[in-house]
Amino acid sequence: MSESSHLEVAAYALGVLDDGDVEAFERHLDACERCRQELKTMSELPGLLDGVKSSSERAN
Amino acid sequence: MWPVRRQLDSRFERLDPETGPDWDDRLIRELYNEFGGPLLRQVRQTTGNDLQWAEDVVQETLLRAWRNAAKLTWERGLLWAWLLTVSRRIVIDGRRRRGVRPREVEPPEADSIAVPDDADKTLAAIVVADALRGLSADHREVIEQTYLRDRTVNEAAAILGIPPGTVKSRLYYALRSLRGVLKERGVAS
Repeated sequence: MSESSHLEVAAYALGVLDDGDVEAFERHLDACERCRQELKTMSELPGLLDGVKSSSERAN
Repeated sequence: MWPVRRQLDSRFERLDPETGPDWDDRLIRELYNEFGGPLLRQVRQTTGNDLQWAEDVVQETLLRAWRNAAKLTWERGLLWAWLLTVSRRIVIDGRRRRGVRPREVEPPEADSIAVPDDADKTLAAIVVADALRGLSADHREVIEQTYLRDRTVNEAAAILGIPPGTVKSRLYYALRSLRGVLKERGVAS
């Protein structure tokens, strides 16, 4: 896997990776300890971003 | 596809498929017991407190976990992270189908990140909005054009006129800086 596979962990954590890329990334994840660690550290960010997002929804 | 391993995580190993015909039912029940509550709390933030929808999302997420039994060999933290990404994809897909967009108006100017109004002035939301503003324009833009607008990488790439790979790498560095700042300010762990 190329270096670019590692970078997909952020899009994956946010749930915005396109369907076609999800399966390939999950295969990568199964073999890549570094990405597994990064996924865990990034996984609380979407929840934090939701706070900003939902306030903007209500604001509009 | 995923090789289904025989060795399940300790939480699930007593649910050996060979120990009874109702293995599937017990596995689903176990997933609900372990993750149902926390997952519902997370999903409700994303669904704007639409409880019925949130419950459907949780159910679909746990069903996918059950169908991907190999994931259950993962340690708890990783399995939890996986469940969160699955639930977010389900919410984003659902929003598309309903044609609901968090914001209809286009322009992602530097100040388009909402400052929470009085009722929403939780410290965390203020700190997060502030941290987003502190990111470089490129980094802020990809977060806005993907997650904050329920768009996938490819959709955001088309709108921004840059390759999907660039969106992915900017998102990566954007999330890393964001996390760094939030950690410094005591909002992220």
